[in-house]
Amino acid sequence: MAENTVIAIQIAIVLAPIIMTPIIMYSDRISDKLRNGLSAATAAITFILTLTLYPFIKNGGIIQLSLFEILPNLEISIRLDLLSFSLAALASFVWLLATLYSLDYMAKEHACGRYYPVLIFTLGSCQGIFFAGDLFSLFVFFELMSIIAYILVIHEQTEEALKAGYKYLVMTIIGGLALFFGIIIIFELGGTVSLGVGPIIEESSALGLIAFICFLIGFGMKAGMFPLHVWLPDAHPVAPSPASALLSGIMLKTGAYGLIRVFFSVYSYQLIQNSNWDNILVVLAVITILLGSAVALTQTDIKRRLAYSSISQLGYVLLGLTILNNNAITGALFHIFSHAFMKSALFLAAGSIIWKTGKRNIADFKGLGRQMPVTMGCFSLAALAMIGIPPLNGFLSKWTLALGALDAGMLFFVLVLLISSLLNALYYLPIIIPAFFELPDGVVVEHHGEGHDEPPVKIEEATPLMLSAVVILALCTIFFGLTPNNLAFSLSRLTAAFLLGGGGF
Amino acid sequence: MVLSEQLPALIVISPLICAFLSPLLYRRHARASAYLVLLSLLLSLIMAAALLIKVQRTGPLFYQMGSWPPPWGIEYVADPLRVYMLLVVVAVSLWIFIYAIKDLEHELRDEVIGWYYTLYSLLVASMAAMTLTNDLFNLFVLMEICAITSCAIITIKEDRECLEAGFKYLVLSAMGTGCFLLGVAMLYMVTGHLNFGFLQEELSTAVLNYPLNVFTAAALFIVAFGTKAALFPLHVWLPDAHASAPSPSSAMLSGLVIKIYAFSLFIIFYRVFPRSLLDSLPLSEIVLWLAAFGVMFGSIYAMLQTDLKKMLAYSSIGQIAFIFLGIGLDQRLALVGGLYHIAVHAITKAMLFMAAGTIIYATGVRKISDLAGIGRVMPLVMVAFTIGSASMIGIPGTGGLISKWYLALGALESGRSLFVLVILLSSLLNAIYYMPIVINSFMSQEDFGHGVKEVPKVLQSALVIGMVFVALTGIFSRPLILLLEEQMALFF
Repeated sequence: MAENTVIAIQIAIVLAPIIMTPIIMYSDRISDKLRNGLSAATAAITFILTLTLYPFIKNGGIIQLSLFEILPNLEISIRLDLLSFSLAALASFVWLLATLYSLDYMAKEHACGRYYPVLIFTLGSCQGIFFAGDLFSLFVFFELMSIIAYILVIHEQTEEALKAGYKYLVMTIIGGLALFFGIIIIFELGGTVSLGVGPIIEESSALGLIAFICFLIGFGMKAGMFPLHVWLPDAHPVAPSPASALLSGIMLKTGAYGLIRVFFSVYSYQLIQNSNWDNILVVLAVITILLGSAVALTQTDIKRRLAYSSISQLGYVLLGLTILNNNAITGALFHIFSHAFMKSALFLAAGSIIWKTGKRNIADFKGLGRQMPVTMGCFSLAALAMIGIPPLNGFLSKWTLALGALDAGMLFFVLVLLISSLLNALYYLPIIIPAFFELPDGVVVEHHGEGHDEPPVKIEEATPLMLSAVVILALCTIFFGLTPNNLAFSLSRLTAAFLLGGGGF
Repeated sequence: MVLSEQLPALIVISPLICAFLSPLLYRRHARASAYLVLLSLLLSLIMAAALLIKVQRTGPLFYQMGSWPPPWGIEYVADPLRVYMLLVVVAVSLWIFIYAIKDLEHELRDEVIGWYYTLYSLLVASMAAMTLTNDLFNLFVLMEICAITSCAIITIKEDRECLEAGFKYLVLSAMGTGCFLLGVAMLYMVTGHLNFGFLQEELSTAVLNYPLNVFTAAALFIVAFGTKAALFPLHVWLPDAHASAPSPSSAMLSGLVIKIYAFSLFIIFYRVFPRSLLDSLPLSEIVLWLAAFGVMFGSIYAMLQTDLKKMLAYSSIGQIAFIFLGIGLDQRLALVGGLYHIAVHAITKAMLFMAAGTIIYATGVRKISDLAGIGRVMPLVMVAFTIGSASMIGIPGTGGLISKWYLALGALESGRSLFVLVILLSSLLNAIYYMPIVINSFMSQEDFGHGVKEVPKVLQSALVIGMVFVALTGIFSRPLILLLEEQMALFF
């Protein structure tokens, strides 16, 4: 594929959703069907366009192009390499499913005229983050996405949602300011903020360290890193379920993505390693992993439990990033994929349950497996993947991460991974087991003679559209875990080699 | 061409003539009088644009009033920097006037509107002249005109609050001009010149012979312009004055009038004082610290306000301090940021005051807590308010980010990272007091509990223009920034 075509496609991927936003907003006045159709179509087109970039990427193509100079030496530019493609493809895929899921899920909700445009707009800005060719453009899209996503968070407009949303917004602004500070220091030190010129900072300096910490704050905030995670467990559960799936499944990853870029394109990773700056992140990542899991144990609300689980899972990615060797980076990248599939599946399944039965409290989940076997089955699959049971994808990512930790001689990290898996099991199994093997409260088993009959439970599944979104995501957890030869894993491996090999500058 | 040589004078004269004609015309045709002002401002704007093109092509233009050569006559200088400021003044006042035509009908008695036009035109003329003048005494005269007219456009509302605020403003402003005059006299005493260029030459030797005179004059100038531009801690008059005035006046005062003084201080620092003076005295340092405190305290005070316009007024104290921060850092990039912030804040704050004015016009509500749910009733106004707030916070895509970027870059370049933190912290504080208003207005579950009048198209279009301006300063800032960078390179 010619480079110009690729650039045009890339721009289209970012701009199409953003341009469609006002159209969708307007179409709401005409009819609900049109609005829904347009939203789904936009998400689908974005996904397909992203996929068409694959052949170019497969041939090792890289694009770095400056589009428009905002200020002298400061431009809006685009970049396409393995890393951006992997994440963009993942994001648009999950976005498409979440949008389709929303069509039914949101049918009963209020203010859909606001929900869909925002959903599509955040898709565009999220793709913009991945395709940004310099830190400044990345920052612009990052802020755009984070701020607009606020509207998704407070969709219910309850007092709780507004409170969570306010927390979210304040943290976003703090993160944004930290990023701004970091970027400006890099600009001052290196004279450029482009991601396409190789490591900008190669020498250790006090300002460089300050900038590094600023990036940790800015991106770590988004990724739910301890101690900046406080907004996450409030904000993710109050959003409508498809939005939670995106917030937890994809938008968290933009933080991890930013950190990866910081590690490899802004600083030289050797510098980070040699000056021991990564130790800051190591400590935070370990705390994040353990704390997220431990707090998840105590949650009784299903979506809150999932949100805390997200914190701990993103900790894996951060941990993998700090180990900085081939296996660990592969594991971290692959975990971005895995977690996107697992957590989106979990949130969408939880959403179906809430939508159908209104149950949010985990104690009420007894017997749900009989009422909604497919949904609950998918939930279990994804939950098992979270725990890390082979042959699901969660296992593969933890395995690779552990290999990386061993390569680096860090036995301690393997222990952390194991403890966290144990904790995962402790908080996911008590959801699944009662759902299948216990009866709902108030239903009595009648004993007659030997054996016992259980009263028949009426199967009540969510609509086929919602169900299929959940099923597809759940199947992904198997499909991308069965063998290490799958697309996601080989992309991660290639990307890891690419990043460690200097990022193709 | 002869006419193009006369541009600097014509730009000032156009609103000046109009100031005298409009009240006469107002008796007969109220509407025509408004159009006359509009026309004169438009004319000035076109001429200012032409002047900018001219000076960029042929270099600075020195204009001698009445053909009297400089040491005796008054000289106007049009270089790209001053014309930039001139353009901001004329363009923003034209835009505010469009808003004022409709809003004033609601806020003022019919008889005084004609006089308001006079005051407004005079104010614009004096500010336009202040950007161009190259003569200290002329600057003093213009400052007096500016002070009196701006005081008058507050008190024209004739309620108790306005009179009180106006009086306070008049007294403090007179103190400022007094200080300024004293400073001018001291400089005149030791150099015998009033023209900037001659002064700068003479001062480098005079400062050695009469250091005390020059130092005192410098201190007096800081106090004078600090008072006029509401630099912390001389800001006490501003909140009352800006909050109680009719909305177009608030927009004008907060948007332009305080900036013109900051700009004048900047010109005096770099065009009158020789570099050696700036280096030997901690003038910049003083301005820098006052500005840093102003940035913080302005935001903190603003957080505590319950009245919308008062909050905006306090926010101006924080924002004007950004401009002084640029001057105080005494560094090329920081000055670019500070001077760019003049345009950004002029547009943004004027728009915010217009939005607040529109809300008051349509509903009569001034209290922040009563604004819950108003976004659903008056979406356009609140979207404008949101965009204005975004620019105040410095969200990408708005001009606020660009000026903060340059200020922070300048602070880093001169090795004063502390002030970057000040800038960031103030952005955060801005976010904390602007965001709840926006959120509450759109997302609150309560419905807006007051009657809403229909908003006239003119007011709406003024807000739309504002939104476009804010986006333009954020996205297409490059030509302006290049102009400023080029100009700043002359000073360093």
